Amino acid sequence: MNLAGTFTFAGPRATVWALLHDPAVLAKALPGTKTLTLAGPGRYEGAMKVSIGPLTAAEFAVVVTLSDEIEPSHFAMQIDGKGGVGFAKGSATVDLAEGADGGTVMTYASDIQIGGRIAAVGQRLVESVGRMMMKQALDSLNAELEARVKK
Amino acid sequence: MTRPSFGQRVRRNEDARLLTGRAMFVDDVNLPGMLHVAFVRSMMAHGTLKGIDAAAARQRPGVVAVYTAADLGDYCKPGPVLVNPPPVPGHVFHGCTQLPLAKDKVRYVGEPIAMIVAESRYVAEDALADVIVDIDPIDAVVDLEAALKPGVPLVHPHLESNAAAHVVQRKGDYVAARAKADIVVKRRFLYDRGVAAAIENRAVAVDWDPRAEEMTIWDTTQAPIPIRNGLAKMLGLLESQVRVVAPFVGGGFGPKIMMFYPEELLLPWAAMRLHRPLKWTEDRQENFYATTQERGQVHEAEMALSKDGRILGVRDWFLCDTGAYDPYGLTIPINTQCTLLGPYDIPNYETEFTSVFTNKPIVTPVRGAGRQHGVFVSERLLDIAARELGIDRVEIRKRNLLGPDRFPHNHEIMFQDSAPLVYDSGNYLPTLEQAAEIIGYDKFIREEQPRLRASGKRVGVGICCYVEGTGIGPYEGARVTVEPSGTVRCATGVGTQGQGHFTVLAQIVADALGVGVEDVRVVTGDTREFHWGTGTFASRGAVVAGSACHAAAMSVRGKILDLGSAILGAPADNLELSGGRVKVAGSNDPGIAFGDLAGRANPLRGAVRPGTEPGLESTAYFGPDRGSTASGVHAMIVEVDPETAAVEIKRYLVVHDCGTIINPLLVEGQIHGGVAHGIGNAFFESLVYDDQAQLMNASFMDYLLPTATDVPPIETAHRETPSPFNVLGLKGVGEAGCIPTGAVFAQAVEDALGPGAGVEINEIPMSPNQLFELMHVSGKERA
Repeated sequence: MNLAGTFTFAGPRATVWALLHDPAVLAKALPGTKTLTLAGPGRYEGAMKVSIGPLTAAEFAVVVTLSDEIEPSHFAMQIDGKGGVGFAKGSATVDLAEGADGGTVMTYASDIQIGGRIAAVGQRLVESVGRMMMKQALDSLNAELEARVKK
Repeated sequence: MTRPSFGQRVRRNEDARLLTGRAMFVDDVNLPGMLHVAFVRSMMAHGTLKGIDAAAARQRPGVVAVYTAADLGDYCKPGPVLVNPPPVPGHVFHGCTQLPLAKDKVRYVGEPIAMIVAESRYVAEDALADVIVDIDPIDAVVDLEAALKPGVPLVHPHLESNAAAHVVQRKGDYVAARAKADIVVKRRFLYDRGVAAAIENRAVAVDWDPRAEEMTIWDTTQAPIPIRNGLAKMLGLLESQVRVVAPFVGGGFGPKIMMFYPEELLLPWAAMRLHRPLKWTEDRQENFYATTQERGQVHEAEMALSKDGRILGVRDWFLCDTGAYDPYGLTIPINTQCTLLGPYDIPNYETEFTSVFTNKPIVTPVRGAGRQHGVFVSERLLDIAARELGIDRVEIRKRNLLGPDRFPHNHEIMFQDSAPLVYDSGNYLPTLEQAAEIIGYDKFIREEQPRLRASGKRVGVGICCYVEGTGIGPYEGARVTVEPSGTVRCATGVGTQGQGHFTVLAQIVADALGVGVEDVRVVTGDTREFHWGTGTFASRGAVVAGSACHAAAMSVRGKILDLGSAILGAPADNLELSGGRVKVAGSNDPGIAFGDLAGRANPLRGAVRPGTEPGLESTAYFGPDRGSTASGVHAMIVEVDPETAAVEIKRYLVVHDCGTIINPLLVEGQIHGGVAHGIGNAFFESLVYDDQAQLMNASFMDYLLPTATDVPPIETAHRETPSPFNVLGLKGVGEAGCIPTGAVFAQAVEDALGPGAGVEINEIPMSPNQLFELMHVSGKERA
């Protein structure tokens, strides 16, 4: 699965950077997240419940490790999700650039290998579910950002 | 007189039970205290197995036991190589078989890692997620050609490469023949297969009685006797302590042969430790990885011909995917090599293959078993040669068919049964002529096609020949008994998966004894009833088990005549058997009913005469030196939608010769089912793996089987060229329907698109998407 795209946040880069590193905010933004905690420097651990086609409410234990951090413009992630119905394992990069009108343009790319039953029966849907979750998460983060900027 | 049933459209004895839901399948076995099993399977196709933590699963309420390779001790040994390679000089074969539970390494998605036994299947399935499996991934070996390149990870690191086997077979001198040829056509072909997709998935249920020290195993196997023999040995039991029952089985098609699947090995082992009955029933998703399947071959082939279209020789080189392990030896690629020769006179032949380990599920025969691949290569090469030489497609085939005076015909290369490939009998030209006649080939080409083309319709006809090696040894047996009630019992060792054994075997016995087909009770697939035999495979049930039933029934007939002669005071020659009675021919005396005779043959007082046996019972065996070769022609008319590339099959015809026909209704049933399988293979079914060997369409949502609307009414015509290799003249028919389907489909679609389209189909399956792309690319190239 390769999810890639750009998204424009309506707020300054430093705040976006902070939001993207705040497990409490991310837990609310990422659909299906049950828990997400900072387990160590740059290491987040959590549990997510995801529904993909015939696989309903599949639970995954997720570990995300950040690397190559250049605040406030770039970081990379190793993503490792494991569950009873499969796994997702891969890497992603996030770049933040200053946009027009005080906004921030995020460019992201990922390369994630999936396996097990989610690959077997959900493959057709994984990418669209992934895109949908990404959109919901980014919209939610942007709403949080706008709320913070207004304060 | 009881009318002989041979050749009659006798309805099936088993259908009342099957259609009213009274037939027993393995999943119907429910015993008090039964435990249920689920398997933790590898989610990665290739990796180092670093650790398994089953502690949480063991603590889950309702879980009775969790076993990993470490718990199996000495029982964790690689399974047997099931079929040894035939003795082809110079062949290389690396037999690598799997452990019941993976240890150190995983080699395909779905490979079993741990076995969970629980009070219910629900609990067992829930506990799957409790087991933490630590696998360090290795790049998966997926593509056949890439697998052999240097530096690629090895599926089996103790070997030098991913090559599992290498075989060269030669007949005549191809190089010399090629030098004399007027034309050589050469192409690359891809031919893929798929899953067997039996309606019933696999299942195993086990009951161990520790007091009687007896084990009963209900198993969806095609080969209950070899399974019993193998399990008894592995478990340290006498063969007589183990009873394997293969009850009604909802389709076999190859993957249910004596595979000694991990599940078959582990349930009996666990039952002896837990002293509780166990059951495991495969679900459809597991079936896509945990049951063997058949997959692709890549061929580089050429055919050398004279300008009048006579084949001077063929050279074929191919790669064959064997998956992560190769327990079934070389059966599939050897079948491909042999079946490529078809009904044709090919004096010079050079064929070489390398089978290749990949990180995909294990490949073993599925209905057709490599024959499709070979037929596709030779039929496509003939089509291309016909086009280049300007010879009609039917005509070029006629010119190359073996004549009726050429039998038995020795092809000189080795067949899968370790005997040279010898065709027993055949009469190919009339079969082809009849097929062309029925489908209206000449008229279609001359009148209908031009007329329909003029109105914008893309219609085409395809017509292809094939042979099918069937009925191979080593042997089967049967015991026929006349019970005191007069009922005739016939017990044989083969398992049944819906073919109609309860009817055809009954017909054979009924005709030998002069009783009605419905009066013969056939027992199959129960080692307590009969425990010598091999199994149901290679279209051999009717030929081999049928011949054994015939021999046993004829022996019982002899006993009836002997005893009847003594009691009736007439020479045996003057007696007739009819309606379940033996009587003096032409006499009004009703004679003696078989049941009474059975009672007289097993007296409570008096003596059984020296040199005779009690009862009216005989056991006999049949072991042919070599198989019998069935043949046929498939023809098809299709219409291709030029916009969507959808193909509609307008007509499908099979003219088939399986020797003497026992029951045309059942032969047609086999052909219909086979054609449906073939249509699926040609146009719908495809196992799609990603670059890490994850199967991406392991459900019937994404893996398309042909439905009733995709399979047209199938026309059939029968020809009967008896086999001289068995008394009844039988040849097998189980795989005939699916063997040339891909080839005839390709030819018909090409013909429909017309020579101007520039489309050449050298790949099966050919989905509508692929066909669309092919039409599009060819069109663009032309423009």
